Amino acid sequence: LITLSEHSIVISPVGNVDSELFKPITMGIKRIFGCKTKVMPLLPDVSFALDPKREQHHSTPILKKLEEAAPVQAIKVIGITSVDLFIPILTYVYGEAQIGGATCIISTHRLAEGLFLSTDEDTYHERVAKEAVHELGHTFKLRHCKDNNCLMHYCRSIKDVDRKSQQLCRYCKTLLEDEMKRIADSG
Amino acid sequence: MSSIKIFIVDDELVMRKSLSGWLERDGYEVDTAESGEEAIEKLKKTRFDLLLVDIKMEGISGLDVLKHVRENDPDVAVVMITAYGSIATAIEAMKNGAYDYLLKPFDPEELGVLIEKIVEQQAQARENLFLKEQYKDRTRFESMIGQSKPMQDVFDLIRDVAPMESTVLITGETGSGKGLAAKAIHTNSPRSEGPFVLVNCGAIPEHLMESELFGHQKGAFTDAKETKKGRLELAHDGTLFLDEIGEISMRMQIDLLRVLEDHVFYRVGGTQPIEVDFRVVAATNRNLKKAIKNETFREDLYFRLNVIAFQMPPLRERKEDLPLLAEHFLRRFSQETNKPIDKISRRAIDEMMLYEWPGNVRELENAIERAVVVGKEREICPEDLPFWCSDDPTLVPQNALKDIEKAHIERILGNNQWNIAKSSKILGIDRTTLYSKIKRYDIIKSD
Repeated sequence: LITLSEHSIVISPVGNVDSELFKPITMGIKRIFGCKTKVMPLLPDVSFALDPKREQHHSTPILKKLEEAAPVQAIKVIGITSVDLFIPILTYVYGEAQIGGATCIISTHRLAEGLFLSTDEDTYHERVAKEAVHELGHTFKLRHCKDNNCLMHYCRSIKDVDRKSQQLCRYCKTLLEDEMKRIADSG
Repeated sequence: MSSIKIFIVDDELVMRKSLSGWLERDGYEVDTAESGEEAIEKLKKTRFDLLLVDIKMEGISGLDVLKHVRENDPDVAVVMITAYGSIATAIEAMKNGAYDYLLKPFDPEELGVLIEKIVEQQAQARENLFLKEQYKDRTRFESMIGQSKPMQDVFDLIRDVAPMESTVLITGETGSGKGLAAKAIHTNSPRSEGPFVLVNCGAIPEHLMESELFGHQKGAFTDAKETKKGRLELAHDGTLFLDEIGEISMRMQIDLLRVLEDHVFYRVGGTQPIEVDFRVVAATNRNLKKAIKNETFREDLYFRLNVIAFQMPPLRERKEDLPLLAEHFLRRFSQETNKPIDKISRRAIDEMMLYEWPGNVRELENAIERAVVVGKEREICPEDLPFWCSDDPTLVPQNALKDIEKAHIERILGNNQWNIAKSSKILGIDRTTLYSKIKRYDIIKSD
């Protein structure tokens, strides 16, 4: 992969987030994108995005605020939150990203489903890292992949998340390399 | 997956945005409209595979959009989006042909499964259609299309005569598909592996004909810098198709007759006899018996050619094939031009059925090509057809055919500033034929 070491991907905890999660996310990002990471809280409060009727947070305005607060040297920003996220048309989302956008966000709210965190911590960390890299993948213009082993595969259930690997398939890998080269060339 | 086009119709910007963003990540091509009015306008120009339509909208409602789609594009799946309070309307929509409905907000997996199911069913339907088309063996024969009795008879006859070695004479009006019939005979004959060589006797000037047919030796005449094989030689082991045989000169008729009898000839300027083995299929739009009477065509050559003869029916005598043919050409030209025109309007079909088609299938082919090029909507309208003129009495079929043909030629020439090449292309006839028709009908250029 093209080295973008002078830039970093910012991991931004949004609200109260377990700091133990930053390590697996950092490793996942390094493995797939080859980039440095920096943990940097950018949004102290997300109550502006709360929908009291649904008791969930609308992810789109959070993404917008994250983008406004993003430091210029960051190539991408990923927000991590423990609140339950939604977009108006859907009941919930694990995360949101715009294709080719600068920011994305994931929620850990539903990722502990079926686990005892005291004994299944590794699985939980793996799930969080997979979803974080998946959403970041969208910001590098990757779309959902049919290969159910690929990190960019869209998971219908938490079982699907566990089933997929922590790697991109060779097609997504090539597309990512193309996009990273394009970013490096454009300075 | 990337080719699936989804159309979201919802008056709420936030719904349109969140849904389109979600679907784009899945690799779908997404477009949106904020009202029923905008949706219908876009639907006239673009074809989508799936519509997600909000039921409640100001003005044209989701149900009206559904009705429009059902009337114009029944293959498109429409999924209604509704809030809890409007389930009854959603069920009504299902009765009116909606594929399904989704209650706002819906689970991401519910949407994903539904779209995949629709995409899969549409692919299945397309495959079924393809298989059905293949089974339509009786409506298609090689490149010819027709379900009418006259065409079915032609297909049967070709199947019968193709395996034989006999010479075939195909008669029929210009543009009626004589060339396609000849090709079908070749393709279904034991010579199908060999060449199919066309000689357009009407298009090759008299002074070049001899060299074209027989070839020449180097130095046979001033321009003969190399030895060149003629078409007779090239047709060895295959089929020689002599198109417009009625146009061939008396001199060439003598030479041709000799070759057909002996299958031996000499190149121009050559001294070595060349033996050839080919089957002859000839075609003409002329009445050869009349030409024999007028002493412009040799009787012995006629008998040599007329071993098996059949006539290609003119399009006006098999109008039931017209929609099938028009659709075939539409598919071809919309693909070639990459224009999303996929339908011919009822009114346009009616106009075509009324018209007499003096240029036959070739004229129809040209008319559809033109309509696809000039057409602005997703369907071909009567206005797109070259002969369309709503109050033109010459289109009324009770006129004598020659009057209709004359008027049609006059109009096409007038519309094209008497550009003969352009007019002959639109009419589906060659320039020589157009000139002879101008002379025959005494058509005069008006200022």
